[in-house]
Amino acid sequence: MIRFLVKRVLLTVPTFVALIFLVFVAIRLVPGDPVEVRVGEHGIAPERLALLRHELGLDLPVWRQFLGYVWQLAHGDFGRSLSTSNPVLGEFLTLFPATLELAACAMFIAVLVGIPLGVFAAVKRGSVFDQGLMGLSVTGYSMPIFWWGLLLIMLLAERWHLVPVGGRLDLIRFDYDAPTGFMLIDSLLSDEPGAFLDALRHLALPAFVLGTIPLAVIARMTRSSMLEVLSEDYVRTARAKGLSPFRVVGLHALRNALIPVVTVIGLQTGTLLAGAVLTETIFSWPGVGKWLIDAISRRDYPSLQGGIILISALVILVNLGVDLLYGAINPRILHGR
Amino acid sequence: MAADTLITLAEEPNLHAPPSGAANLWAAFRENRGAVAGAAVAVAIMLLAVFAPLVAPHSPFEQFRDAIKAPPVWAGGSWRFPFGTDGAGRDILSRLIYGARVSLFIGFAVMAVSFGVGVVLGLTAAFNNLADVLITRLMDVIMAVPSLVLAILAVAILGPSLTNTIIAITIVFLPRFVRLVRASALGELDKDYVMAARVAGVRGLRLAFGTVLPNCLAPLIVQAALGVSDAILEAAALGFLGLGAQPPTPEWGSMLADARQFIRSDPWIVTLPGLAILVTVVAINLAGDGLRDALDPKMRRS
Repeated sequence: MIRFLVKRVLLTVPTFVALIFLVFVAIRLVPGDPVEVRVGEHGIAPERLALLRHELGLDLPVWRQFLGYVWQLAHGDFGRSLSTSNPVLGEFLTLFPATLELAACAMFIAVLVGIPLGVFAAVKRGSVFDQGLMGLSVTGYSMPIFWWGLLLIMLLAERWHLVPVGGRLDLIRFDYDAPTGFMLIDSLLSDEPGAFLDALRHLALPAFVLGTIPLAVIARMTRSSMLEVLSEDYVRTARAKGLSPFRVVGLHALRNALIPVVTVIGLQTGTLLAGAVLTETIFSWPGVGKWLIDAISRRDYPSLQGGIILISALVILVNLGVDLLYGAINPRILHGR
Repeated sequence: MAADTLITLAEEPNLHAPPSGAANLWAAFRENRGAVAGAAVAVAIMLLAVFAPLVAPHSPFEQFRDAIKAPPVWAGGSWRFPFGTDGAGRDILSRLIYGARVSLFIGFAVMAVSFGVGVVLGLTAAFNNLADVLITRLMDVIMAVPSLVLAILAVAILGPSLTNTIIAITIVFLPRFVRLVRASALGELDKDYVMAARVAGVRGLRLAFGTVLPNCLAPLIVQAALGVSDAILEAAALGFLGLGAQPPTPEWGSMLADARQFIRSDPWIVTLPGLAILVTVVAINLAGDGLRDALDPKMRRS
């Protein structure tokens, strides 16, 4: 167990180094003078240029620059944003709760709806429900979510006024401190009546849109994994013992069928963060995805660089967590190595 | 030559010759109604794209000043513009048909390049230990960055254009092919026929491409088919964010971005490009799923 843990954790170290190196090289490939790109000024005088080159360490050999960069990152220094001159890490951490709240609710919806649908489709294999669900699932994972979001805004927000068009909270009606950055929690902590419901109304549609693809994937995965398990001998034994169908499916089969589903849920983290870029843009959701897109249009390279490293580091860590969890729930992995 | 003889001798004499591979595949594919329907729609869209100048009623760039934001036929419009016109008075139907060209071109270009490069890198990794470490690590990093974020980084560096969209998405898709080729090639290397070929003196490029590669092709073809639809989605997302094909190119994603301002007044301008993306992607996915099931009988159970 410990050997597996240590090996798996150590394997992520070269991935981290390679990630930083990749982004380090990529940002140097940006067309234009590196000093102008990084300081955000144009037409700098030669004396000042030399000074800035020295200040930015651009006169050092490349390998020293890279080591220096790793050293900075290790101390939590991700540089300063060119547009606001605030530290990049600080900006990221301020906006990240909004993205996390959105992504977590999206995954919550996807798991809560997707797993029961998949189980039901497997039990009723070949029925109209099963075929209809599989058709919907293909549509779901083929969905251009930026269009899906616009379509639902058009219907639910503009035409029927069921939900707001965008944002996280009705800022005209509510004004309170946000100690955690998670709107659902902050609204409960505040004494404003109705704030929680308002936050929930703002969150519902973006979370559903972002959860659409994971929902389709999880439903499909649960169905095929369940079908596999239902044909196993121990399920037949459980049935032969006279257990109720509910116990057979819900206890004996589902527990084993969920093992591959857990991996899929983990693998969807990257999809969720990529989808967050689109969802946040459509719903004016003030999270890191929208911030990243804004950084591109402002040519704010330090923010772009830092944001990509932080988001990717997160995905690497989540995948590590999923692998460890997988090892914990599936003993075959541990003893196989 | 000697290798071929060895393999032939090793085979059992076959009394009941099975039908040829292609006929078998088609018979298995035909069983799946969804896959056949998907393939039919996908072929229809491809034909529309190829014959766009003949099919489209107007030029995708011509601006009809007298008919800005004309409604489609079903909303009281005229047959002159069956799907209506956009904010610049351009015929939406014609732009959608030409848009199929752009999207399918991106999809197939990405697949062709990442297939080719993926095969070379994957085989190199399977045959060379040092290259294996480097290539595997690089692919791990690419996989760690969320696909759209990586594509955004690539476009931010290269600048937004159609070509750079293709390059960016190719980088994103490369690991899928490399890992697939590497894994199946490693699986094949232990088998007797490879040993037989080696004994017979086949080595180097001929061993990699001539002997091992043909036996790894089935999963690659499936990945390529399903990858086309992913590439189309990814390209549309980049176009929507303003980082893909630039106006006035009739690209479905950027058409949708242009239409956002009319979300309140003219819903069809927003609805149609997205529908085009969805129908194309669903059709290719259905056909790709059918192909996978037909190629891999084990998957057919589920």
